[in-house]
Amino acid sequence: MRAADLAEDLPLVTRDTDAVSAVRAFTRNDLTGVVVADADGVPEMVLTGTQLLRLAVPGYVMTDPRLAHVYDEAGAAELVEQLRDHTVGDLLDDTEVTPRPVPCVLPEDTVIELAALMCAERTPAVLVRDRDGTPHGVVTLPRLMSAILGIADAGDGRS
Amino acid sequence: MTAQTWAAVAVFAVTYLLIATERVHRVMAALGGAAAMVLIGATDGESAFFSEAEGIDWNVIFLLLGMMIIVGVLQQTGIFEFLAVWAAKRARGRPFRVMVLLVLITAMASALLDNVTTVLLIAPVTLLVCERLGTPPVPFLVAEALASNIGGTATLVGDPPNIIIASRAGLSFNDFLVHLAPIVVLLMVVFIGLCRVLFRSAFRYDPQRVTRVMALEEREAITDPRLLWRALAVLAMVLVAFVLHPVTHIEPAVVALLGAGLAVLVSGLPSRDYLADVEWETLVFFMGLFVMVGSLVRLGVIEDLGTAAAEALDGRYLLASTGLLFGSAVLSAVVDNIPYVATVSPLVGDLVGSGPAGPQASSLWWALALGADLGGNATAVGASANVVVVGIAARNGHPISFWQFTRYGLVVAAITVTLCWPYLWLRYFVFGG
Repeated sequence: MRAADLAEDLPLVTRDTDAVSAVRAFTRNDLTGVVVADADGVPEMVLTGTQLLRLAVPGYVMTDPRLAHVYDEAGAAELVEQLRDHTVGDLLDDTEVTPRPVPCVLPEDTVIELAALMCAERTPAVLVRDRDGTPHGVVTLPRLMSAILGIADAGDGRS
Repeated sequence: MTAQTWAAVAVFAVTYLLIATERVHRVMAALGGAAAMVLIGATDGESAFFSEAEGIDWNVIFLLLGMMIIVGVLQQTGIFEFLAVWAAKRARGRPFRVMVLLVLITAMASALLDNVTTVLLIAPVTLLVCERLGTPPVPFLVAEALASNIGGTATLVGDPPNIIIASRAGLSFNDFLVHLAPIVVLLMVVFIGLCRVLFRSAFRYDPQRVTRVMALEEREAITDPRLLWRALAVLAMVLVAFVLHPVTHIEPAVVALLGAGLAVLVSGLPSRDYLADVEWETLVFFMGLFVMVGSLVRLGVIEDLGTAAAEALDGRYLLASTGLLFGSAVLSAVVDNIPYVATVSPLVGDLVGSGPAGPQASSLWWALALGADLGGNATAVGASANVVVVGIAARNGHPISFWQFTRYGLVVAAITVTLCWPYLWLRYFVFGG
């Protein structure tokens, strides 16, 4: 199985995408992160799920996580509602967040090349791009895991 | 002066300039300066490592290290978060009352702990309370930074310059309590009055918002009550040991290290938790600084300056006290007060020792402490606590400009430092002589 077989078209977010839409893209597609595109629509960065989660948590609670304990249920809900006041750009500008550039693979790269790259770059998505730079979609971590599981199961069947 | 002395003075001046202008990192500057002193023969290993006066003052280093570890344990308890939320609820969400209670908590905590740690702990919970109240947090944060510098002035362990002064002058924890705490209490009363005037536009009261504050559950901040009681017990024992120094003769640095060891033992926390709060950079900076200043002491530069100053002053201690108080305040407003006090304290020691011992001579130490500690309030860069608060505010979307901070800080510094002068005059010259 090659990278081209695993690549899929994902909804991309941009710097201006509001936080609610970004979270929706994350949950609807069962992803472990969202891919941020630049102004030309080219995938540029990956924000992981836990980085995205920061949009729902005030900065002072990130600084002092013990403060999360003092909110009651209504207070916690009020905080989460503030999600709509944020955009993906807020995360990209946050000095505590280090979004990772989307690593690129070739369409003919194997699953082990994809897995090695994702581990090394600690990213849940890689961009499949051929040698002339034409993008062929994104391989996500869940998709790669499914492929690995499929290969492992097939191996069990043979032995 | 010999060529070597001139070279040492040049090394010191260049290094000081680099530290003051922040052209290079202060640790690099201090270590570079110390290395240059060794290379030109102004000091050697024996003096640098084993002479309290001419090298690294390990009393200061280990006192700081011990207190940092104790704070590292204490801050895992959630006590600061508890106190701040409790205060906001106790004030029934009235913004001025909330500010008063928060600055009092900050000042008292700063008297016992490092100022930077105190504001690091109190600023996030202040942002939370202000968000609940719908009031602008900047006045509260600025007030807390100013309060931490005032409160830290009260004790030996409250501010690093006090630790240096105590070690150089041989002053005890009780000396600081007796000589500085009374004026600090008075200054806090005045400061609270100033808060009412300076930050009056921030005290918007919205009764509907108050319910959001009253709904906060402060007890939830304390996740491990056993850890809290153990940490507080250790802190109490350390403070009692500081106070009992005249009886036990155990040096503050030893008390702090024993306290740190006990805190680590009874807390059972992993080392990464309590060591995360040790400011290794600050400790190394101190070491470099002590080697540099010690080199000047070793070459007799400080003694020559002290003799010249003593001759010029000719026993006029009130003039010297006045100059030290206001001069230190002005210098501390623009440069870090730690290198300033490290440099000036041997000189003050010579001045104090040049005449008959007594309250008038010892007033110089208190003038130095008050000027250096309180002067830091004048600008956004005058004290580490100010820099930390400005940074936290910016990260949370409430930027505080240099001039915005300075507008408040300058007024507070000018008034508090000026109030110290009649205190020094009355206590050490009118009634002390």
